[in-house]
Amino acid sequence: MHTLDHAVLGIVVGFGLFVISYYLLVNAYYLVIHVLALLELRDDVRESRWEPPFRKFASPFYPGIGIVVPAYNEAATIVESVQSMLSLNYPEVEIVVVNDGSTDETLERLISNFDLEAVDADVPLDVPTEEIHGVYRSTVYEELLVVDKDNGGKSDALNAGVWLTDMPLFCAVDSDTVIDRDGLLELVSPFLERPETAVASGGVIRVANDCTIEDGIVTSVSLPKTGLPGLQVMEYLRAFYSGRLGLNRIKGLILISGAFGLFRTDVVREIGGYRQDTITEDFDIVVRLHRHLMDNDREYTVDFVPEPVAWTEVPATRRVLGRQRRRWYRGMVETVVTNRGMLFNPKYGRVGTIVMPFFVAAETIGPLIEGLGYLLLPLAWYFGFLDLEFFLVFFLLTTGFGVFLSWFGVFSEVWSFNRYEHPGQIFRLLWYGVLENLGYRQWKTVVAWQGLIEYLRGVDTWGVMERTGFDTDGE
Amino acid sequence: MVGPISLLGYSVSLTVVLVVVALVIGLALAVMFWLTVGLSIYRSVGTTRRERVQDDLQRQLLDGTFDPEFDWNEWVAELSSVERRVVESLLDEYLRELDGENVERLRELGDALGIPARSQRRLERGGEYERLYALTWLTLLERPDRLHAADVEPRTPRERAAIARLRHESGDFDSPTAGIALLLEDSRSQFTVFGQDTLYRIGTEAPDALLDAAERNSQSWSQPLLVQVLVVCQHLTAGVTTADLSWLTAALEADNEAVREAAALALGNVGWRPDIRNELFLDRHVGDPSPRVRGAVYRMLARWGDEQALDTLAGALEREPDARARLTGTDALVGRRDRLPDEQRVVLGETWAWSREHAQYDRLARRPDAGVRG
Repeated sequence: MHTLDHAVLGIVVGFGLFVISYYLLVNAYYLVIHVLALLELRDDVRESRWEPPFRKFASPFYPGIGIVVPAYNEAATIVESVQSMLSLNYPEVEIVVVNDGSTDETLERLISNFDLEAVDADVPLDVPTEEIHGVYRSTVYEELLVVDKDNGGKSDALNAGVWLTDMPLFCAVDSDTVIDRDGLLELVSPFLERPETAVASGGVIRVANDCTIEDGIVTSVSLPKTGLPGLQVMEYLRAFYSGRLGLNRIKGLILISGAFGLFRTDVVREIGGYRQDTITEDFDIVVRLHRHLMDNDREYTVDFVPEPVAWTEVPATRRVLGRQRRRWYRGMVETVVTNRGMLFNPKYGRVGTIVMPFFVAAETIGPLIEGLGYLLLPLAWYFGFLDLEFFLVFFLLTTGFGVFLSWFGVFSEVWSFNRYEHPGQIFRLLWYGVLENLGYRQWKTVVAWQGLIEYLRGVDTWGVMERTGFDTDGE
Repeated sequence: MVGPISLLGYSVSLTVVLVVVALVIGLALAVMFWLTVGLSIYRSVGTTRRERVQDDLQRQLLDGTFDPEFDWNEWVAELSSVERRVVESLLDEYLRELDGENVERLRELGDALGIPARSQRRLERGGEYERLYALTWLTLLERPDRLHAADVEPRTPRERAAIARLRHESGDFDSPTAGIALLLEDSRSQFTVFGQDTLYRIGTEAPDALLDAAERNSQSWSQPLLVQVLVVCQHLTAGVTTADLSWLTAALEADNEAVREAAALALGNVGWRPDIRNELFLDRHVGDPSPRVRGAVYRMLARWGDEQALDTLAGALEREPDARARLTGTDALVGRRDRLPDEQRVVLGETWAWSREHAQYDRLARRPDAGVRG
């Protein structure tokens, strides 16, 4: 018994020391990223305040953008979404809606609302997707093209758009995403600054729940009334805003949200488009772009632009959120495993030697270790090895630091573009920054473990996002 | 609590370590909280104050713009600092949007607000962004005199473009050649879209001067800059008469496919001249190894639009192995010819049908009675 006690003690103490070291390393990384984010924001704010004295719409030098909108069973929202995209401010756009084998009336609604007619000719290109049944053109909107194809998933639908657009750049958006009216003008800025080297840029994704949307524009920014979407606002600010700004500072952005990203069309075609056997195609495509361009010794940039915003509805129930996060986790593991050759590989520069290893440590392994820690705590307590006082102090300190990072994200928001203008909203965001450490964070570690198990079992389903719809004016 | 921590011969109680860490985190939290809340309140108060006066000031500003007797100096003297900021913001907006006589009145308001003098000080003492803000104001107000008084040299390509824009918009160049020289002589790095647009605006007034400058300097340019100048040449609207275009035809032989592509498209615009066409070896260029370049050569031929060019294009498309280049060329050809001989139509097959269909829908959507949009 004594030997067993000793062994368990050794394991628990060893694991505890490992967890503490791991925690210190990962959080040092996060701290550095957030400080870098502040420096990046300072530059971005200064840049955004300089409006050169020329008329953008009269300039012939803005590259054309194809907006690729994959749509599967989106009959309820597709007309409003397309109308919203038709009203975007940009000199030259083409909107390619890809009906990915919807079983509802998505195509019929598009046909009747936009006066579509079938193009009486086969597609003269080899498009690497499921079979395309028809291409439709509008007799009213020259810039609208609708592709009707067999269901093949989101990547397949995106590839159809990427292959059929004539534009040098394409913007991948989700059909339920609402883009700021000037969003494309901002998102394209890296391609204007560095036309030869920019290959991709990503904008900010914000939570649209409870915001008011009128004619496809967010007219009133509100914080969600319920806790779960509110916590996600906080999370998006920290991870998708501050975090990506920091990575951008070290030229290490490896993730552009699928809801709002701009890419060089020819380069994405060059790497074969989106992979169809992945469920996080947005993460996968950016990592593959890095890999391909560095393999070929090409100078390139992947940028994060903090001002253009796309608004998206986030899950409001734990069930749907859990499903979404399990999918994100599975996709992340799958992409990391597929591209494991980049890890610690100096050939891939900072992305291979710094960003990817820390990303894996913090985002892939971190939640698993944290979850394991929560599992071992009762065990240690049962065997009498848990120093309760130390544990409580450690918990409070780690929580305090977590809150600090979250508040850092809120501060970045207030200091820069300040979309949540009312101080009451900021108070609530700060409160969410505290609240997410009490239950939500622990729940996410469980979800990570579930996601890992699903990955190991080979689960590859998307799951359904249940939407309540936006709060549109006049409703 | 577990025992002390030993490191490098020193031993510190874990309690002490934890207390110190707690103090640091606690302090950081307190600072972050008050900074965030304080900043939010400060910005909110500022926004509220500005919104409160905005409508009134907008109305007064418009009244003053349309009333030649309105005394801006007297009006400005009564404004608070918040009101002045709002007025400057409105002035910036209107100067960008309005044309004609009203703009002159607005520029007088700029003087009354002291913006030219302030911009000069910023030019003399500020960093890059301060100087860019200043140059933007001076461009909107058309006050190159303040630029000359500040006696500054551009330090970055953006400043160079901003100075060129200011002097061009203000009619301060003796000739467009001087503007082109400012932008292109001794220039190495590429422009932003603002610089490229500025070059285009100046170049449109004197395309021969632009092409002459390119002839002299293109060898020393980086490839991205060369591509940008070639893209500007694609869009020049005035006719090119006497310029030597040998640099442009030489660019069509460059190693870099982006340069060859841009050169072909530029030649499509400025190269429709017998001497140029005879000089080019069209058969070789339609056989360029890059499908991207071949597509550009097809567009060049279609833009020329004469029978010889279109015959060359149609013949090349029959042999084109790359589907996308063939589509690009067929799209261009459809814009010039609405029918083909049967045998060519058979060879182009679905590509011809596809391009024709899309051209028809483009025309349909562009017709004036294309229905109510939205």
